[in-house]
Amino acid sequence: MPKIIIDGVEIQCRDKIPVLQAALEAGLNVPHYCYHPGLSIVASCRLCLMEMKMPDPKTKEMVWSPKLVPSCQTLVKEGMEVRFNSPAVIANRDKVMEYYLVNHPLDCPVCDQAGECYLQDYSFQFGKPYARTVDPKVKNPKKDIGSRTLLYQDRCVLCSRCVRFAQEVAGSGELCIVNRGDRAEIDVFPGMPLENKLQGNVVDLCPVGALLDKDFLFRQRVWFLNGTDSICRACSTGCAIRVDQNRNILYRLKPRYNPGVNEWWICDEGRFGWKFVHDERRITTPVVRRGAATETPPWDDLPVIIRQHLTAVVQKHGPASVAVQLSPEMACEEAWLLATFIRSIAPEASLALGDVQIVGQEEKFPFGATDGDVKFIIRPEKNPNRRGVEAVINGLGGNVISREDLAARAGKGEFKALWIAGGYPQPGWAGKPLIDAAGKVELLIVQDLFPGPLTEAARIVLPFCAWVEREGTFMNHAGKLQPFDRAIDPPEGAVRDGQYLYALAGHTGLYTGRRVREMMAKTMPEFGQLHVPPPVPEHQH
Amino acid sequence: MARFEPVLLRNVGVEGSRTLRVYESRGGYAAARKALTTMSPEEVTEITKKSGLRGRGGAGFPTGMKWSFLPKDRTITYLCVNFDESEPGTFNNRYLVDHDPHQLLEGILIAGYATRATTAYIYIRVEFHETFHILQRALDEAYAAGLFGRNIFGTDYSLECYIHRGAGAYVCGEETGLIESLEGKRGWPRIKPPFPAIEGAFRKPTVVNNVETLACLVHIIERGPEWFSSIGTPGSAGPKLYQVSGPVNRPGCFEAPLGLTCRELIFGDDFARGMAGGRKVKGVIPGGLSVGILTADELDCKLDFDDPKKYGLLGLGTAAAIVIGDDADIRHVLLNTCRFYAMESCGQCTQCREGTGWMYRIARRIAEGAGRSADLDLLVEQTFSMGMMPGLSICGLPDGAVYPIRTIIQKYRAEFERHIAQQASSRTVEVIKERVPSAYELPILGQRPAQVTWPTAASSGA
Repeated sequence: MPKIIIDGVEIQCRDKIPVLQAALEAGLNVPHYCYHPGLSIVASCRLCLMEMKMPDPKTKEMVWSPKLVPSCQTLVKEGMEVRFNSPAVIANRDKVMEYYLVNHPLDCPVCDQAGECYLQDYSFQFGKPYARTVDPKVKNPKKDIGSRTLLYQDRCVLCSRCVRFAQEVAGSGELCIVNRGDRAEIDVFPGMPLENKLQGNVVDLCPVGALLDKDFLFRQRVWFLNGTDSICRACSTGCAIRVDQNRNILYRLKPRYNPGVNEWWICDEGRFGWKFVHDERRITTPVVRRGAATETPPWDDLPVIIRQHLTAVVQKHGPASVAVQLSPEMACEEAWLLATFIRSIAPEASLALGDVQIVGQEEKFPFGATDGDVKFIIRPEKNPNRRGVEAVINGLGGNVISREDLAARAGKGEFKALWIAGGYPQPGWAGKPLIDAAGKVELLIVQDLFPGPLTEAARIVLPFCAWVEREGTFMNHAGKLQPFDRAIDPPEGAVRDGQYLYALAGHTGLYTGRRVREMMAKTMPEFGQLHVPPPVPEHQH
Repeated sequence: MARFEPVLLRNVGVEGSRTLRVYESRGGYAAARKALTTMSPEEVTEITKKSGLRGRGGAGFPTGMKWSFLPKDRTITYLCVNFDESEPGTFNNRYLVDHDPHQLLEGILIAGYATRATTAYIYIRVEFHETFHILQRALDEAYAAGLFGRNIFGTDYSLECYIHRGAGAYVCGEETGLIESLEGKRGWPRIKPPFPAIEGAFRKPTVVNNVETLACLVHIIERGPEWFSSIGTPGSAGPKLYQVSGPVNRPGCFEAPLGLTCRELIFGDDFARGMAGGRKVKGVIPGGLSVGILTADELDCKLDFDDPKKYGLLGLGTAAAIVIGDDADIRHVLLNTCRFYAMESCGQCTQCREGTGWMYRIARRIAEGAGRSADLDLLVEQTFSMGMMPGLSICGLPDGAVYPIRTIIQKYRAEFERHIAQQASSRTVEVIKERVPSAYELPILGQRPAQVTWPTAASSGA
């Protein structure tokens, strides 16, 4: 832990990091574009220059060097003294910010990045309040560089983050810089567009509005968006994300820094895989069928109805006649609430983990990297919480069966009541054995996002909310228990799973993940420890 | 002064000087044989240090010292020959190789031996099509004679040599830009440290030397370091190839000891022999465009490594004098200068990328007769906001850009002002309005310039 002096204040910092990083971690607002902790260092934006004390060649006394040095390129060294507040440093920032705007179209009113743009912020904080250019600007073209990405070259500050990302993290290196001087552009080779599974990240990396997400283009001004910390549900990696919404409508997902899990990145599958949330076909109200008639009971009556139905089956056929299929889309808390509720009525009820969707193989980035150099992994297990639900089932113990057994035994009539939790974003996820078996049980309760053969056959249908509408924890492939918060309200008529399961289990009041976790941790200590990524310095981007 | 006997150009004008047979018959490859067979690499380095040879590429860094930065325990070393001669006005390397390619090859052998280089790459500017073929033929000849390859002169020293053609970027003359380009990448100068001596081409220790520097080595080995350091001025030893272009009676490449004055170079009988067509000297850019300009009153500047700095210039540069006659418009000199750097800025560092382009557009407007006094102030101000010397950029290209621009404006300010005074008073506003209507015609501005808040706008004349 070296100690260094920045602007006359001694700070302690991590070892082997650039001075810029140390300054950001100490809370200083040092402007920077090209520096990103996850990418190689090019020191080309020249915004983070600092003054440093060096030994005088003659007297060997430590004096301020007349030359500015890039703080992103200089590693911290015990006892070094630097400053960001000297007139030369401030003059350089002022000048560089003016240069950035020489050819910038100043089209903030129609730019998607406005509001979260570091060209805006830094111009405001460090630049001039007026322009001195009266000559025509160089107007570089707008380009469609990939299936999901647009490039507005005229707004580009040429920090080359996107180029380095494509090269160093995605490993496919589609992007390059062509031409020289102020005509230099980011580009792709003809016929080789930006097509990798991490391409959305270049939009996040772009500090200005040059790289834009086609999906988000012109959809919302960023200052109307509210962010909520969440966890991606698209695979078992469990990337930390931020869910941006406005008035209960989701607009985009952004990655959050989460060292050891996703670092700074997320894949496109996760980033764009939330469209099912606003699907019109979703189940939004509970349905209870009595013969051919259906009714929609009020939510307040539902616990009593479900209890009555289940109790009737248990009294008739015994405590082992009930089985539950828990879904890896459920939060740990929800799985626990459901399982304990069922066990409270039918103590010998069987628990099974539902379908885990495996698609393809593990994809490591950069392409062809050996283990030590892997920067990102997309896992084939496309559900977020297989491990968490397993932990709940194993923690509760008792009758634990596989989902194949569940379907087989239900098909043979061994189970009279079946509770199936779905919640998979793809309608029609259920396999034939399960559908056949479901048709044979006396009481079928199905929780799902979309109507399907199971909900058709069910006596009681309950809406399953999308993960952004719920709250709880997912346990990722490595056993890290990560909390996610609710970003939006469920659709009209629906109640969050956690809330109705909480009521079902006989608790009163508001469901919160923490309250349930405290109950769980009494018997399952692994649910007492949350993995929360460290905070990112305020001025880092 | 006794007439100087040319050494670097001694084979120029000799029939068949490009062939190995003629070169050897005039004592060629004797120096390389002497170095390889009788000296150790350390001795060659010592001799080079002692001779006071400074790099001829422009910066004037002592060659021997550059070599001694190589790590001691290296196995692979690369020698890169910087033949990307693209400084405006400069043609000494091309002249040398066009007439005497073997002199360069011999220099490569000596430098390669001194640095224990395993491979030498000659990075040649792509526009030198004919020179490339001359050099390639010479190299093939040398290979056939066993002068390159394995066990040269029967010693255990082996050196491979390749000629690599550039792709036409000025910035590839910067040593790390050259290395990047040699590796097949975009010629963007690297951030230093690590310096090429530690981690250069293909991440191995690398020395980058200029063609003329290597040619000098031949004569240092042949005649000894004392001979070399006795030529020239203190701190600037050795013969130098001076070039003159512009409206002079005899433009060309001339060899003289370092320390020749600019006046002598232009008016000397051995050199350019005065101005053509009765013109007067308006100014001289004495060392390739990047060093800056000397006025007609400053012709007594000695062209060595130190004296030009007294005149506000960057240094000696490549000692290529571009003479500007009194019939030239200084605004066009400025425009040409600005255009070159705007075209050649690599685009990596912000100040250089945006600044050179901006300066070019201002210079273009000035040249069109729509300048303002404020533009001149702005240009001078900008010349202090970029460059490697104040630590603001990765390479020295912007240093090379700001020195000519600054000195042209500062030294010829009166002439610029005269032109501005002569142009119609509304001309600037008209031109700006026509090209950038938003600067004036946004409704909110009410016909005031957009730069109303610019503190100097009122005094700018616009």
